[in-house]
Amino acid sequence: MRVSLKWLKDLVDVALPVEDLCDRLDMTGTKVEAVHSLGATLEGVVIGRVLTKEQHPDADKLSYCSVDIGAVEPLKIVCGATNFEAGDRVPVACVGATLPNGLTIKRAKLRGLESQGMMCSPTELGVGGDASGLLILPSTAPVGTPYAEYAGLADSVLELEVTPNRPDCLSMLGVAREVAAVIGTDFETPSGTPSESGEPASDAVRVSIAESELCPRYTARVIRGVKIGPSPDWLVERITAAGTRPVNNVVDVTNYVMYELGQPLHAFDLGKLGSADGVATITVRPAAPGETIRTLDGQDRGLAGDTLLICDSSGPVALAGVMGGESTEVSEGTTDILLEAACFDPRSISRTSRRLGLISESSLRFERGVDPDLAARASDRAAALIAEVAGGVVAPGIVDAYPGEKPLPELTLRADRVNAILGTALASADVVALLEPLGLGVVAADDALRVTVPSFRPDLEREIDLVEEVARLHGLENITSTRPGGRERIGGRTSAQRTRARIAATLRSAGLDEHIGYSFGDPADLARLSWDLASDETLVELINPMSEEQAVMRWTLVPSLLRAVSYNQRRGVPDVHLYEMGTAFLTAQGRKQPKERLMLAGALTGSWSRPGWNSPGGTLDFFDGKGVLETVMESLHADRWQVRESARAWLQPGRSADVIVAGDVVGWLGEAAPDVLDAFEVTGPVVLFEISVAALLKAAARASILYRDVPRFPAVTLDIALVVDEAVTAERVTSALRSAGGSLLESVRLFDVYRDVPGAPDDARRLPVGKKSLAFSLVYRAPDRTLADEDVRPAYEKLVRKVCGAVNGEVRS
Amino acid sequence: MTIIDDLRALETEALAAVESAATSEALETTRVGYLGKKGSLTAILRGLGALSREERPEVGRVSNEVRTALESALEAKRAALHGAARESRIAAEAVDVTLPGRRWPVGKQHVLHEIVDEIVEIFAGLGYQIAEGPEVELDYYNFTALNHPPDHPARALQDTFYVRDLSGDRAVVEGESDVLLRTHTSPVQVHVMESQKPPIYVLAPGKVYRRDVADPSHLPQFTQIEGLVVDEGITFGDLKGTLEHFVHQMFGPKRRVRLRPHFFPFTEPSAEVDVSCAICGGEGCRSCGGEGWLEILGCGMVDPNVFGHVGIDPERYTGFAFGMGAERIAGLKYGVPDLRLFVEGDTRFMHQF
Ligand SMILES: [Zn+2]
Repeated sequence: MRVSLKWLKDLVDVALPVEDLCDRLDMTGTKVEAVHSLGATLEGVVIGRVLTKEQHPDADKLSYCSVDIGAVEPLKIVCGATNFEAGDRVPVACVGATLPNGLTIKRAKLRGLESQGMMCSPTELGVGGDASGLLILPSTAPVGTPYAEYAGLADSVLELEVTPNRPDCLSMLGVAREVAAVIGTDFETPSGTPSESGEPASDAVRVSIAESELCPRYTARVIRGVKIGPSPDWLVERITAAGTRPVNNVVDVTNYVMYELGQPLHAFDLGKLGSADGVATITVRPAAPGETIRTLDGQDRGLAGDTLLICDSSGPVALAGVMGGESTEVSEGTTDILLEAACFDPRSISRTSRRLGLISESSLRFERGVDPDLAARASDRAAALIAEVAGGVVAPGIVDAYPGEKPLPELTLRADRVNAILGTALASADVVALLEPLGLGVVAADDALRVTVPSFRPDLEREIDLVEEVARLHGLENITSTRPGGRERIGGRTSAQRTRARIAATLRSAGLDEHIGYSFGDPADLARLSWDLASDETLVELINPMSEEQAVMRWTLVPSLLRAVSYNQRRGVPDVHLYEMGTAFLTAQGRKQPKERLMLAGALTGSWSRPGWNSPGGTLDFFDGKGVLETVMESLHADRWQVRESARAWLQPGRSADVIVAGDVVGWLGEAAPDVLDAFEVTGPVVLFEISVAALLKAAARASILYRDVPRFPAVTLDIALVVDEAVTAERVTSALRSAGGSLLESVRLFDVYRDVPGAPDDARRLPVGKKSLAFSLVYRAPDRTLADEDVRPAYEKLVRKVCGAVNGEVRS
Repeated sequence: MTIIDDLRALETEALAAVESAATSEALETTRVGYLGKKGSLTAILRGLGALSREERPEVGRVSNEVRTALESALEAKRAALHGAARESRIAAEAVDVTLPGRRWPVGKQHVLHEIVDEIVEIFAGLGYQIAEGPEVELDYYNFTALNHPPDHPARALQDTFYVRDLSGDRAVVEGESDVLLRTHTSPVQVHVMESQKPPIYVLAPGKVYRRDVADPSHLPQFTQIEGLVVDEGITFGDLKGTLEHFVHQMFGPKRRVRLRPHFFPFTEPSAEVDVSCAICGGEGCRSCGGEGWLEILGCGMVDPNVFGHVGIDPERYTGFAFGMGAERIAGLKYGVPDLRLFVEGDTRFMHQF
């Protein structure tokens, strides 16, 4: 809502500076979003008093004057006008001033005499039509004061953010009432009563309303014999400040009254309305199927069934509350006017306006809700103004169909309740004093206040709405800050939330950065990843996505990470280690809401760090990813987990594994397949993993941590290298060693894997073809004594025999 | 030459040899040469038995003197050589301390989660629990139960993402879905109030979605932190005091807090909360657009209609709620000029905070 300060000051006495007014409005709930300067400032034009007026010695038509402008020395001015005398007060443009017509005042010699300025006519100042002589000001005009300030030419427009609950503030009257309440002064309600004559309006117009829910009130006035033409300056100035371009005097008045009182009005050309026996019949009804209308903007519009229409005997003539029709538009030849002031259902107007993409000042006000009580007063006001600016005769009476008339609501307000909610200690009398300036009728009853709510405040429906009014007028800044006491409350994170935080912290200490990607997914990523959904899984589809690439909700976090990797690589960042903990979405036929699963995913590529003067770099591979998982699992004390070779289409075969916790596959790990790298424009290798966070939390919750004695006696360490088939996994050998080790075997550590170079000549081979060598360090320890080599030898030899048999291997010599 | 003379000569020679030994090894050779089993002093001492009784004490005394002198010379020399060796090793091991250290990369938490965690810490300290809820919500939880009228504009297809409903349920709105991406974390309020009895002190951080084109100041997805308190005797003053505490913890004790009345469907009275500008302290400067204040959150007293939906007696309990955006706070705290940086995953951006 644009509020001209000049206009506002006509309605309410604003004695404080603009900044202070803005602050008051901000702090009472009407945010001032901007303040614009408007109108001529006429810099350099001040009020002067003519001290002397002499004939110019060399020019009959010029005079030579001395003019006091409040400066030390009076100005000497040569002037061509004749309509003034010494002692008159006039506007004086000093040297350097630029007038609205572009003229810049300079020191100049006129017929031999220097002129130090110019006395101005109204035309020269752009304030009126009289060019014949100087603008003579009243003798009270203060000498030396800038003329624009004196004449009130300059204006400020406040741009107010009006919240949806305050439709009343979409009018100058409403803003004036609000301003008066918040700064504690009075305001004036603009009104007008037209002088009426001729045939009564009811002889020319009949109104019928089909559904009173959709149109609680419709009023029509008739004005005959108007002359359409341009509006006077004051009217143009006002509606321009409010943000509307002038059209013609009648339309401009309807806009003016809309801004002034908040009642949208529409003027029909009465002569163009279909009539029977000279009586126009206005019907307000929903559109019938297939109906169309050509609106003022020349567009033909098909109408949906619930579009509310204003119709004459031949059909639709306006979209109620949104836009008029072309056929009954007021134009140059119009003489008789039907002036509509009505109240329509906000929801209906909102639907029509949105469906047709037509948003007007009128529709915006109806959507928020227009006071039904206002229609007749606004109609009177507008009719009087039309008669004033466009001539014509106002027909007696208003045709007023008001089926939706309701008594004013009365609410109960308890001062105790106010204080209980706000934490204040206001007395009933304080509350009354705060509410009354808003136009509320407040009566003290036995135990509470009875508040009558005026029709312009439809937002006040409940006691709490009144509490809010008290809060904002009392001032939130005047409410004392406290903090809740609150017994029996428990704070902090849950165990699962803490574990999640620990997982994330472990990942960061392992060198991974956290990424947050979009939750949206690209359905084409299914193909990019060769990802097959299970038969009971369906992607979560958005009905109104922003783009094809974000048409579904992501079912995996992998594309989000691959895109981040690609983004970094394309910007010359080769070392990327990311993790993301976020929701993956999948649904199924028959489900309303999808399944939301919290996933942990990671992507590693490049090196842990660039090779440095003392660190080697090295390309990250499968085992870096696995190491990260191992670190996480260790931090959770999850021991019953393992990885198992698996085939996942988006992972490179042979470098792809399932993650298994307590027998369940809960995720996977591997290097991205070459096709995937190409599809996401990523340079590999990229290690990826994705695991269900719920599974990690379960593993962590299961972990039992019990004290074991820290070793007190030294250990015996024996190394063993076993030659086995390539197909025998390290895990198999390790578990064979563990189970054959006997009670003294404390730990088994794989420290070397040896393979001959593929295709090496026989004489360079150290192992048979198809074999590898795994070297382990075995630590034997007894809890109660120092072991000697001989103590472990028998157990070791037994282990060698058993393991060689179990994995079909032999000890490498 | 007497044997005494021999001993004295040997002493002179041995002390010279000790003195001239350049390494620990040479010194050991010298020691063995004189004091070893086959050493020359040892040989002389072995010959003592052949001496007369008169000669023996004197020779014995002298030879002990010689041995003692030699041993202490050896010890002194050994210590000197050891010290010299250590010094030269230390000299050789000197490094350029300005060379960069050997580092292990440490990962960085995303700045938005860092902010969320900071806020969580502050409110956990005030006795709040952390609540979570689904990101794909029902209209009921996102709008209806939060007192949004049926025609509220936020429900429009152009503002809210809707999700295809596969339940076969067409009763709600013919041809439309009432399943949506939550537009705020406020539906968590409703879930909490449905499942928990007061006192309720919860904080609900999470992702929310609105149909905005990604540009420097908009994202279709962002991070919100919602707070809810429901208890007996909760007042607007409590809300104000709580938020002031939060701002002082989060932004520093010198920042001032201002509440301006505002309108939200699910709170009443409602307010927007401003923090005084860190640069100008409230006077107005370029950084705050001349306002002196920066808007950081919205809040209010829980509307009785919301309590009505979850069966909490508004006469017995009152409550407050507040909500803020992590992106907004990160923007204010660090001056991030483009919100898209938060979702692109540029590690150079991440490591700035
Ligand atoms: Zn500032």
